[in-house]
Amino acid sequence: MSDLALGYLSFPVLLALIFLRAPIGLAMLLCGIGGLWLATDGTTVFMARLKSEVYSTFSNYSLSIIPMFLLMGQFATHSGMSRALFKAAEAWLGHRKGGMAMAAVGACAGFGAICGSSLATAATMSRVALPELRKYGYSGGFSTATLAAGGTLGILIPPSVILVIYAILTEQNIAKLFAAAIIPGILAALGYMITIAIYVRLYPDQAGIKERMPYGARMKAFAAVWPVLLVFGLVVGGIYNGWFTPTEGAAVGALGTGLIALFSGTLNLGVLRDSIYETATGTGMIFFIVLGAAFYNGFLALTQVPQELSAWVTAQGFSPWTVMVMILVFYLILGCLMDSLSMILLTVPIFWPVIQGLDFGMTTEELAIWFGIMVLIVVEVGLITPPVGMNLFIINSMDRETPMTATYKSVLFFVGSDVVRVVILLMFPAITLVLI
Amino acid sequence: MLHKLIEKLAQGMALLGGIVLCALVLMVCVSVAGRELADASHGGWLGGVGDWLLGLGVGPILGDFELVEAGMAFTIFAFLPLTQLSGAHAKVDVFTSGMRPGLNRALGTFWSLVMAVIIVLITWRLYAGLQDKLRYGETTYLIQFPIWWAYAASLFAAIVAAVVSLYCAAMRLTGQRET
Amino acid sequence: QEVTLRLHQFLPAQSTVPAQILDVWADSVEADSDGRIKVERYPSMQLGGTPPQLIDQVIDGVADIVWTVAGYTPGRFPQLEVFELPFISPDAEATSRAYWQLAEERMMDTDFADFKPLGLWVHGPGVIHANRPITEVSDLRGLKLRAPSRTTTTLFTNLGATSVGMPVPAVPESLSRGVIESAVIPWEVMPSLKVEELVENHTEFTGNALYTLAFIFAMNKDSYAALPDDLKAVIDSNSGLEFSAFAGRTQQAADRPARSIAEARGNTIITLDADQTAAWAEAAAPTIDAWIAEADAAGIDGTGLYRDAVALIEANNTGN
Ligand code: NA
Ligand code: NA
Repeated sequence: MSDLALGYLSFPVLLALIFLRAPIGLAMLLCGIGGLWLATDGTTVFMARLKSEVYSTFSNYSLSIIPMFLLMGQFATHSGMSRALFKAAEAWLGHRKGGMAMAAVGACAGFGAICGSSLATAATMSRVALPELRKYGYSGGFSTATLAAGGTLGILIPPSVILVIYAILTEQNIAKLFAAAIIPGILAALGYMITIAIYVRLYPDQAGIKERMPYGARMKAFAAVWPVLLVFGLVVGGIYNGWFTPTEGAAVGALGTGLIALFSGTLNLGVLRDSIYETATGTGMIFFIVLGAAFYNGFLALTQVPQELSAWVTAQGFSPWTVMVMILVFYLILGCLMDSLSMILLTVPIFWPVIQGLDFGMTTEELAIWFGIMVLIVVEVGLITPPVGMNLFIINSMDRETPMTATYKSVLFFVGSDVVRVVILLMFPAITLVLI
Repeated sequence: MLHKLIEKLAQGMALLGGIVLCALVLMVCVSVAGRELADASHGGWLGGVGDWLLGLGVGPILGDFELVEAGMAFTIFAFLPLTQLSGAHAKVDVFTSGMRPGLNRALGTFWSLVMAVIIVLITWRLYAGLQDKLRYGETTYLIQFPIWWAYAASLFAAIVAAVVSLYCAAMRLTGQRET
Repeated sequence: QEVTLRLHQFLPAQSTVPAQILDVWADSVEADSDGRIKVERYPSMQLGGTPPQLIDQVIDGVADIVWTVAGYTPGRFPQLEVFELPFISPDAEATSRAYWQLAEERMMDTDFADFKPLGLWVHGPGVIHANRPITEVSDLRGLKLRAPSRTTTTLFTNLGATSVGMPVPAVPESLSRGVIESAVIPWEVMPSLKVEELVENHTEFTGNALYTLAFIFAMNKDSYAALPDDLKAVIDSNSGLEFSAFAGRTQQAADRPARSIAEARGNTIITLDADQTAAWAEAAAPTIDAWIAEADAAGIDGTGLYRDAVALIEANNTGN
């Protein structure tokens, strides 16, 4: 069998393993190892790669943001900070239909602004928000879907690791790409809130509602969360002002929430132990998936599947807009199987020259920025489209009572809002380009 | 009895990883504070205090980011046993939720066996990687501590993960436990 | 074709080294073998792993050929560091020739025993890119700076800068946010990291380069041994001293267009004259002495390496 055929065959095999309840990371790792074995006619390559690549994946500096933010979320959750935060959100939004879910999306947007990763945003905000949403009577599927969608804001709202990589691949200005991502990011958050408003009107039984609170009580609830806002402001402001890198910001955030918990008397040895246990299982689960993705993507690259697929897409002689739409659809489909960073690394060097050669009536720089933002959005949608979406898996595994099918049903509404946004941004590039 | 022992082992490993993680958090914060204090002192904004601080040698911790990398590798390996024991790995139950419980249990047992094999394989390869690093004498960039130290610490944690995953598979095979 | 060789490296395909050096080598090997060799090119670490793992990948046969930076694996090629010492390289081609020759003399059975070197070269002169003008050594005091290698980090720390360690891809974002105020890289690398958009001052030196980095372009031993003799000859005739010289020359030539990008933006380019450069070289001398002493103590004859490297560079530096 040719390498290419092997690559295509790996898609259905991977899906079959996943649907037969193999842990996601294990399924990807098996496909990657098995694929490398067959494609290179022997065990040499994957055995050699296992020697150092597991260690290097686990010791990746950019990924170390994940356990740090998970620990921060644990301190916040266990010490009741998240409760205070949601009390405040409840005071202001809880009397509205779907208000708590909107607050969760707002929190994801805020968190996304300090974190470069969707998975980390989704995982951390879930630790904080999922129990609260459930307590307020939101259905399991609606809660997990809201947080999975909210998590994608992590990449969209700068700083974003993926945007930096794209900027380097296409030789574009990073600051301008960051600026261009702001309006689409806000549109995404607004779109999700509108989706929530519609959803709770269609399914009123899936969301709880609170009595309207007087303004005095609202201010009081707000005042109770100032330490949290202080840490949040320190982390966000510090990263934006260049006091520290995002990973360092995560450490500052973890220490800050830890200190607040300590001084408020809620952090004792038992709480610290529980926080570490929860951080451990969350981190272990995420890194096992990242490990599997690394091996599977290495195998796919070797088979040249991404290159051949994209060569086929661009060899059909269609109009620029058709090619653009096809590429975006291609990313959407590929997004079912691969993580966004690997997709960008594999395909942008192939797609970008093609797009650059087509006439969309804008300068090369504008085109590069617009295309980059479109790709970024579509790749992120792939994280929440059923059946396979990394954010869906991660959030769903944090809520054992909710079946995956319930999450799938609810998340379709958010995917719908994403599709509407993609169409709008595709039709009006000016929305993306106005801030640069 | 055996279960208690394995549970303590996995929890102990997670705690060890957690302690390293907390130490890394503290180290990064100290390094950031040192760097920014030194920056402010050089800028003259702190006046005499700044000069005094510079005299004390205030600054970032040398090689902080390679310490994070090495420590984080150990931390993640140390988190694997508990992840394994508590069955925290992400799965999809979309097609199997309607299946007979017996079939689901069989699938669970099968994957737990495969997982054990893979983790043993990873542990064995990590040992081979450790020998490479030892032979070539590779060090980190700035503080130049030998990389094999970090590999050795990770290997210790990986061995515990292998033991725990073998235990999980054995418990499932013999039908004694579903972890 | 008969043989497929996988070439793996860490930069995007359109960067200087892949496009103007590695592709030239690969195309020429393919043509000289009448198409019997095909070189599959995998840029941007597409085959997986991180840049420091490239050298293990070529030893273990994960890739047949890799291009990598020697300094990515500190401690592994202690002898090569001699070419990365401050103010040793007058010209990338001359130093690249010296590097290949010294490697043939001293390193093929030691540092390079586990793979087959195809090319060994260094890049053009390193430049200080900073958010404020750097003219005197004392201007470095307190400057938050990211240096590219162990030796340069030691150098700048000794000269009073605050060295901040981070991986290369983190440089643009850190510069834009002020986590670092300066990056030290050659002109040719600058545009790919967008450094000229993030800082406005560039300090270059006259005569010997502030620093340079040593590269390794290498092939798996078994992949080479498996070739029939005529194809081995194709690989050999495209590799070695002249290819290394070509690579060094090409990479330094790519400095010029990159420099004019900074010029066109109206950035400040400070060219230190010979006297000013001498003051920097003097400040750097203790760092060199310390390296030699350290290498001697580690039993790799730092004194001899430094003496031979300087002599070979001198002999190859025809000044054209
Ligand atoms: Na972000
Ligand atoms: Na998907």
